[in-house]
Amino acid sequence: MKGLRRLYGLGLLTVILTVAACSDSDDTLPTVEAPATYTFERNGQSTVSFSGQTTRIQMATELVSAMKDFDNSTEALLLEMFRNETANGGDANPFSNADLNASTKSVRSKTGASKDYFFTNATEAAQIKADFEGWISAQVSEVFPAENQIATPGNPGQLADGSSTRYVNGKGLEYDQAVNKGLIGALMLDQMLNNYLSVSVLDEADNRANNDNEVLVEGKMYTTMEHKWDEAYGYLFGTAANAADPVATIGSSDAFLNKYLGRVEGDPDFAGIAQEVYDALKLGRAAIVAGEYEVRDAQAAIVRQKLSEVIAIRAIYYLQQGKNALAQDPPAYGTAFHDLSEGFGFLYSLRFTRQPQGDMPYFTKAEVDGFIQAVYGSTNGFWDVDATTLDNVSGQIAAKFDFTVAQAGN
Amino acid sequence: MVVRGVKKLWTLWVFMLMGAVACSDSDPSTEEPIDDFDRSEILVNWADNIIIPNYQDYVESLTDLKAAITTFGQTSSADLLADVREAWLEAYLDWQRVSMFEIGKAESVSLRNFTNIYPADIQKIDENINTGSYNLELPSTNDEQGFPALDYLLYGKADTDEGTVAILSTPAHKEYLQQLVERLHNLASEVLNHWTSGYRDTFVANNGSSATSSLNKLANDFMFYYEKSLRAGKVGIPAGVFSTSRLPEKVEARFSGKSKLLFLESLDAVQDFFNGTGSSNTGKSFAHYLDYLNTIKEGEDLSALINSQLNLARQKAEMLNSDFAAQIDDNNVSMLETYDELQKVVVLLKVDMFQALSIQVDFVDADGD
Repeated sequence: MKGLRRLYGLGLLTVILTVAACSDSDDTLPTVEAPATYTFERNGQSTVSFSGQTTRIQMATELVSAMKDFDNSTEALLLEMFRNETANGGDANPFSNADLNASTKSVRSKTGASKDYFFTNATEAAQIKADFEGWISAQVSEVFPAENQIATPGNPGQLADGSSTRYVNGKGLEYDQAVNKGLIGALMLDQMLNNYLSVSVLDEADNRANNDNEVLVEGKMYTTMEHKWDEAYGYLFGTAANAADPVATIGSSDAFLNKYLGRVEGDPDFAGIAQEVYDALKLGRAAIVAGEYEVRDAQAAIVRQKLSEVIAIRAIYYLQQGKNALAQDPPAYGTAFHDLSEGFGFLYSLRFTRQPQGDMPYFTKAEVDGFIQAVYGSTNGFWDVDATTLDNVSGQIAAKFDFTVAQAGN
Repeated sequence: MVVRGVKKLWTLWVFMLMGAVACSDSDPSTEEPIDDFDRSEILVNWADNIIIPNYQDYVESLTDLKAAITTFGQTSSADLLADVREAWLEAYLDWQRVSMFEIGKAESVSLRNFTNIYPADIQKIDENINTGSYNLELPSTNDEQGFPALDYLLYGKADTDEGTVAILSTPAHKEYLQQLVERLHNLASEVLNHWTSGYRDTFVANNGSSATSSLNKLANDFMFYYEKSLRAGKVGIPAGVFSTSRLPEKVEARFSGKSKLLFLESLDAVQDFFNGTGSSNTGKSFAHYLDYLNTIKEGEDLSALINSQLNLARQKAEMLNSDFAAQIDDNNVSMLETYDELQKVVVLLKVDMFQALSIQVDFVDADGD
């Protein structure tokens, strides 16, 4: 034991020394002081604004909820909610919230629409929008007519998940879950990581010069660069009860990225992640005010890594939960397919992750397509998937990160 | 690159830690089995003295209910309505003594979900009666059937008995009553027949201590029932423990106001099961297993603690209004106090007992999305 204790000491010492050494040689960034909360002012007035993000989260919330309203929703209505315009481009009023109807914004216009990933990739951007519209339409054309049938392989209908009822297509997929979890990647994550936190957007045109000289956007209290950063913030915290200090209510502010950052925070293996993301966004914004752009970009890198991890962790989590439910005797199909449907959306969202350095996602489109094909691609989709496949895909995802399938999966 | 190097070192350090743990422990992988208590004795007592007799009672009282509804269908009167109500209550009480056994056929047919999901969807029930078009086998209809639907029809349609008789004697209502009781009866009979035609032996023979052994599985079903159906469903949810406001409309049997009676029966059933007490005699169960482990490990007397905590909860509940909804409206603090006593049992069972018996909890709180 004595020998061991000495070894510990040695290990600790080595680690401390190395950490110290690396932070010394590496960390030459200037010091920027972050405020206690995400509160920034100029001449006593707030410079923070992300109302457009709040609006889109609310629109997406109504859309997802309406997808399960068998009695009142039509394909036309749901597509109007996605597009906020009529089929022939006219003004639409599909939402129950009048403010959303009055808005000129839409979910669709920002889905698969980041500058870094899709500016010169209109083909894929169009395909992503078509994926969502396809799921929305199929919910009405395939699942709605089967409302009062039991789902079987190849046939849509309902399945029991405990005392809840799940409505799936012929392959076991809940389209509303595909849309809900898919938007976390294609809308929230993509806009944050690959658009508003990107140098290409933050430093576009003369943004830097204007920010340095405090040239404000006409009629506003903020510089363009400040606003871009806030827009990233809004996709995560835009519906928080106290948006300036949102960590206390993490997970309860929406059914999208906020919710699942909260879920990951709730897993002891990852506790602290919500604070890390918040702190990085707060410090990055302070760095913009201070004109320290290296500090800003270092914070963007942290947010990119952490939020990409959230998507990967939840994808693995649901594949593993689905696997467990299928292993029951008899298999709990309703429970399993609900998990796998959520997993499907998170797999789809992996394509929008972003490595902290460079401009690449953690997984290419081809890799993501491969995962979805493996889990869902056979004739009867989830009805056919086996534990080996789910473990295999889980393992391939975890391999890109510093956590294990076991840590993510429970 | 520097960062990566650091990460590797950290990993190294963690490995060293793990090594240290392995050294200090004797060798966890070859640890002896925890005990040599004969689990079969418990399984036999559960099956023969508790589960099967309780299902027999339950099916019998459903048969009586079916007969009462058939009679009422032929000649509707206030007296016959009283007979139906009495038979309904009898069957509902007997249900409280089988609900926790959601294993085998009961699990595969989702017995509890089709028998006692409340609050009932009364709009849907009325719609079903009016249109005559419904399929009670669909999972989405689980709140349109079972005892809560009968509670609504028998007590919630009119203020007076005469008014109720007048409504229930229409052909559409009589038909729905009949469909409801037949479905309850069919499901219960299916489960009972499964127990008596082979499953009993399978259940008893699966006497190991793995996660899929009968004892571990039923211990989990028992725990799940206690937490979700008894503690939360009957008390916590209506008292507003899980919401921002009280939800008195979510009590069990809200139209008849029989919530306290049903709750106490359920609590008795839980305690009897824990102690191995059947209708005729007492055999082995968790309590004996804990006592046995206690004598070899000299721990605290867990079975006595659990029993006295259950008794405390019962004492609290006995002070409540016979209709929990009225109690919640009138003085919710007493409901919350009852809940607190019930909650203490959760810790004793789910942490202390499960640990003592080396049983893994196999369910998690559903995340509801």
